[in-house]
Amino acid sequence: MSEQQGRQRVDVTLSINGKSYTRHVEPRRLLADFIRHDVGMKATHIGCEHGVCGVCTVRIDGRTARSCLHFAVALQGHEIETVEGLSADGRLERLQQAFHEEHALQCGFCTPAVLLTAEEFLAENPSPSDSDIRAALSNNLCRCTGYTNIVKAIARASGREGEAASSGTGDAS
Amino acid sequence: MIAPGHKGNIGRPVRRREDSYLLRGEGRFLDDIAEPKDTLFLGFVMSPHARAEIRGIDASEALALDGVVAVYTAEQMSRLTKPVHTVIDFPGYRGTPRPILADKVVRFVGEHVAVVVAEDAYAAQDAIDLVAVDYDLLDATVTLEQADQPAAPLVHDEVPGNVMFESTFATDSFEETFQAGELVVRERFRKGRVAGVPLEPRGCLAILDHVADSLVFYTSTQIPHLVRTALADLLGLPEPKVRVVTPEVGGGFGTKAQFYTEEVATAAIALDLRRPVKWVQDRREELLTSIHARDHIIELEAAIDATGRIKALRAEIVTNAGAYSTYPFGCSLETTGAARMLVGPYDIRHYAYRARSVTTNTCPSGAYRGVGQPSGFMAMEGLMDRIGRKLGIDPAEVRLRNVVKAHQLPYTNVLGVRYDTGSYEECLRRAMVLADYEGFRARQAAAGDSGEILRGIGICNFTEVSGAGSAGWRVRGLTKVPGFDSAVVRIEPSGQITLQVSQAAAGQGHLTTFAQVLSDYIGARAEDVFVAEGDTASAPYGTNTFASRSAVAGGGAVIKAAETLGRKIRRIAAYLLEVELDQVELRDSRAILVDGSDRGVSFREVAEVAYSMSGTPLPQGESYGLEALEIYDPPLATWANAVHIAAVAVDRRTGAVTIEDYVIVHDCGRVINPMIVAGQIHGGTAQGIGEALMEEIVYDPEGQLLNANLLDYLMPTAQDIPDYKLDHIESPSTDALGGFKGVGEGGVIGAVPAVTNAVADALARVGANINRTPLRPSYLLREIDRAAARS
Amino acid sequence: MKPAAFEFRSPRALDEVLLELREHGEDARILAGGQSLVPLMNFRMLQPAVLVSINDCAELSYIREEEDGVLCGALARQWDVENHPGARRSCPLLAEALRHVGGRSNRNRGTVCGSLTHADPLAELPAVALALDAVMLVNGPSGRREIAAADFFVGALENCLQPQEMLEATRFPRQPRGVRSAFLEMGNRKHGFALAGVALELGIEDGKCSSVRIAVMGGESTARRLHRTERQLLGSPVDAATRREMGRLATQEVEMAGDFHADGAYRKQLAGVLVERALAEAAAEPQPTPRSA
Repeated sequence: MSEQQGRQRVDVTLSINGKSYTRHVEPRRLLADFIRHDVGMKATHIGCEHGVCGVCTVRIDGRTARSCLHFAVALQGHEIETVEGLSADGRLERLQQAFHEEHALQCGFCTPAVLLTAEEFLAENPSPSDSDIRAALSNNLCRCTGYTNIVKAIARASGREGEAASSGTGDAS
Repeated sequence: MIAPGHKGNIGRPVRRREDSYLLRGEGRFLDDIAEPKDTLFLGFVMSPHARAEIRGIDASEALALDGVVAVYTAEQMSRLTKPVHTVIDFPGYRGTPRPILADKVVRFVGEHVAVVVAEDAYAAQDAIDLVAVDYDLLDATVTLEQADQPAAPLVHDEVPGNVMFESTFATDSFEETFQAGELVVRERFRKGRVAGVPLEPRGCLAILDHVADSLVFYTSTQIPHLVRTALADLLGLPEPKVRVVTPEVGGGFGTKAQFYTEEVATAAIALDLRRPVKWVQDRREELLTSIHARDHIIELEAAIDATGRIKALRAEIVTNAGAYSTYPFGCSLETTGAARMLVGPYDIRHYAYRARSVTTNTCPSGAYRGVGQPSGFMAMEGLMDRIGRKLGIDPAEVRLRNVVKAHQLPYTNVLGVRYDTGSYEECLRRAMVLADYEGFRARQAAAGDSGEILRGIGICNFTEVSGAGSAGWRVRGLTKVPGFDSAVVRIEPSGQITLQVSQAAAGQGHLTTFAQVLSDYIGARAEDVFVAEGDTASAPYGTNTFASRSAVAGGGAVIKAAETLGRKIRRIAAYLLEVELDQVELRDSRAILVDGSDRGVSFREVAEVAYSMSGTPLPQGESYGLEALEIYDPPLATWANAVHIAAVAVDRRTGAVTIEDYVIVHDCGRVINPMIVAGQIHGGTAQGIGEALMEEIVYDPEGQLLNANLLDYLMPTAQDIPDYKLDHIESPSTDALGGFKGVGEGGVIGAVPAVTNAVADALARVGANINRTPLRPSYLLREIDRAAARS
Repeated sequence: MKPAAFEFRSPRALDEVLLELREHGEDARILAGGQSLVPLMNFRMLQPAVLVSINDCAELSYIREEEDGVLCGALARQWDVENHPGARRSCPLLAEALRHVGGRSNRNRGTVCGSLTHADPLAELPAVALALDAVMLVNGPSGRREIAAADFFVGALENCLQPQEMLEATRFPRQPRGVRSAFLEMGNRKHGFALAGVALELGIEDGKCSSVRIAVMGGESTARRLHRTERQLLGSPVDAATRREMGRLATQEVEMAGDFHADGAYRKQLAGVLVERALAEAAAEPQPTPRSA
């Protein structure tokens, strides 16, 4: 591809899941596109590109952030983590198991982001109420599950007592 | 013949097979597929005007941009493809073809005027901004209220009065019966326009397979087979040379059950440039151009007797179809869906309707979860409440007096449609108990209506049309929707089973549920069954996944194929075991003797014989292989039913609504997987709550879409959704194989009316009449203030 | 939705930031947390030629509890301010309002000064700044200057900064002893932009209002301080009847434009109810409300 004015590219080196990646990209390259298309990690999804839906959630320096609202070039020297990394480390295992048991995912498009949000939340709130969980989830849209089973799954994965027996079917009986 | 000891899977909350990879983020959605290195990216130039003539398009600046390969306008595109033309075989239909790129005239904001082809998505966006289009602005027709007025500009010259579809119905001696009623109760309901908004926007990737000289077309769709047939037709390709692959789909909800012009453009340009071409929709485009839904005015009037029994019902329904009739469902589903479904679970013998679709300069409307029914039941169930108020009878009692009773089943409704089984009264009674309905009414009466909080309770008792077979689509005049589905069951030489179903899931868990069904009907262990679907190169042809049809149509096909193949397994096994056929039954992936001796052969042993891979020859007359293809055409429809009851609190001073209690009693016949059924209901109900309370696509009077972003198009978050009390009744279908009925849409159908009625019930206490959605606080407060000013 | 191209600068010190601003002036935008700026860039509603990131300027990343209040540096992230013990102690209204800003992952990145600079009429922090008479510490070609919050917000998405200036820090005055605060907002959805909101501080001595600061946001080009309502309340008991009267006065005092989310009349009415309820909350007499309106 030929390069002329307006298509200036720079070398950007990011640390993602503890590994260093250098790519030659435009300064305007969004972190989400860098992770997905330049590095090739696809667990981080793109849903709105204006910071609302939450499916592009990653961790920057240990805290959740929207990868569609960051430029890769501005994050050199910072630590990026994605679901691939946390999953490989086993840090999501309790949540993943609880999501499976409680049927807390359908299409799975929002799921990696919801897991990261839940992981951050549970680390700080080991014994949350349902309304705490709903408040923490309110920045991540899910269009399939209606959230009910996500709330149950997070409760199950938490240290909260007495929730693990939940059936996952949502039955009243 | 399945052995009684076979471990059944149907009815169990089997955990999903899909979860493991999705939870690790390893699901591969459209934009996750690694595209070839030389892939080009599309960017669509969208019209900023609702109605205008295109005077000229100057793409020279865009073409001069680094990384831009080509720009197509209608002129070039029309040489590559035919327009999309949806034919509805129905008198009163006047649909018009839609060009892939607007030709001389644009008819809604977002309609594609040109498409740029660039080396990456960023350059494509840059190029879009540089395409100069010279428009001559015209007055637009935007609203439903406006469209059929004499002064309204015509959206299409060939559609007089902007009426794209019209259908009427009346039972014999309707007028006389109506006039003979003692009282008439009427209301006009206005249902706002919404959209499905799957979190994964649409997209597609067209790759020329030079080895096979074919087009491999990945697309985020619910209808891969229908897309293949349509693509081949429009592009003039041999259909066997087109392979459509559905990857993981990040939510569909009907939005992705339409065939879209971008799909045609992507394939056409790939073929034209002989390069891979990819298009991934962004959220703004998604809200501007993916189908919208609802947007109804429904006027109902019922002639009733003094007990509240409906003697005759009249419906006048008009829906805003937008600028074009969409493929394959056309512009009639929302309007006839409402008209033909809204009689629901009620024993009404005299009915008349006029149902119309008008065209406007807005995004085309299509089939979003519930199609017609959320609006139809909002009107019907709203009318039930008004009958109660008029007569001073509790609205639940009005429903009980009108509902089809168990002893009336099977029941043929006023439109000649058969309900084989159902639980209309039982669901209502059970929901009333779970909701403590009587207690709520007592507390409501005791609380009076002077406090800052007004409480109300709302019911929706409804039927859900599902799993329609060919007859169901022919009735609607839809020629491009086959109605059947199919399954191929193949036992491989290993004894393991491949199941191909003509479906394409978007989160419904088909890999799990179809394995459950096959396991039970072929006597195999579930873990031996491997389900695949969504690739037209391997899956048998079918109608695919929408309108709550997977369990009914796909499930029925699986059952038929299982039974056909099961007979062959037993024939071979009987030969190997040297017994009569009726001495062999199937259990846990084995063919065993019925005598309880546990003597038998494994599927693997049978397969080795069938594949000529053992020393034993096949019995005479038996053919090699262990495979069955079966097609299942379900009945006209199966009819699930349910009752939703919502209890709400309305802050009288702000209009804010809080849902305090929510009960669902649901009957979708025989349940394959109660966990997945509950998930479908949870999700649908959340969408319905959103539709009732906050969701609305808003156009201004010039036809500009004001909320093409997720800050302004509000969908519910976890904080807006209550905990549900959910209970099931099972009335298996007797007309459909397996006894299954659909469950995909019931949640949204029940929630919109239940929540609307609950809020209306609360506000009726202060004399306000609530008859439109969304129930924004500002709307509710205005009605409260108006009622106060009247009194 | 991809942003237009820009040149990127990431100075490591305040001086360098100012040099970049001096060089590029109106063509430049400062990138801090990006939670307001980047959406606008992705929609291409903003296409700055130069983006100056301050994310590597450690010297701007501070939250200081001082004698007279809390000082938030330009890179003080919202989540950190919200959870800063000193900030919570000295300025509970700021911490309370921050809970309503976006969601957790937005506040992890978004900065207090960035939100103030963005001057969104629907944002919480400008209302807090107005209510508290926050002081905006501005730096630019002619050195540092202080701007009162009341002068800082000029219009919707418009502040009074000159092209070569930046908001270096904001000082939120300490909440006086005996004063209580409340922040309330309500929207068409629980999470998301509000239709109206109120930030207030209330002091009560001997059963009467001894001090009050009220700012309302929602339907005007900027948040508004309700001086007239404040004057009426001073010296009065903060009983139910007075609160309702103050709500009524607040409705009269605000000007609200409408949109499809809610008309102006509704927003005015809502603002009044929120003022009434915020007064009740600050006066520690909770009212039964079905949701946190």
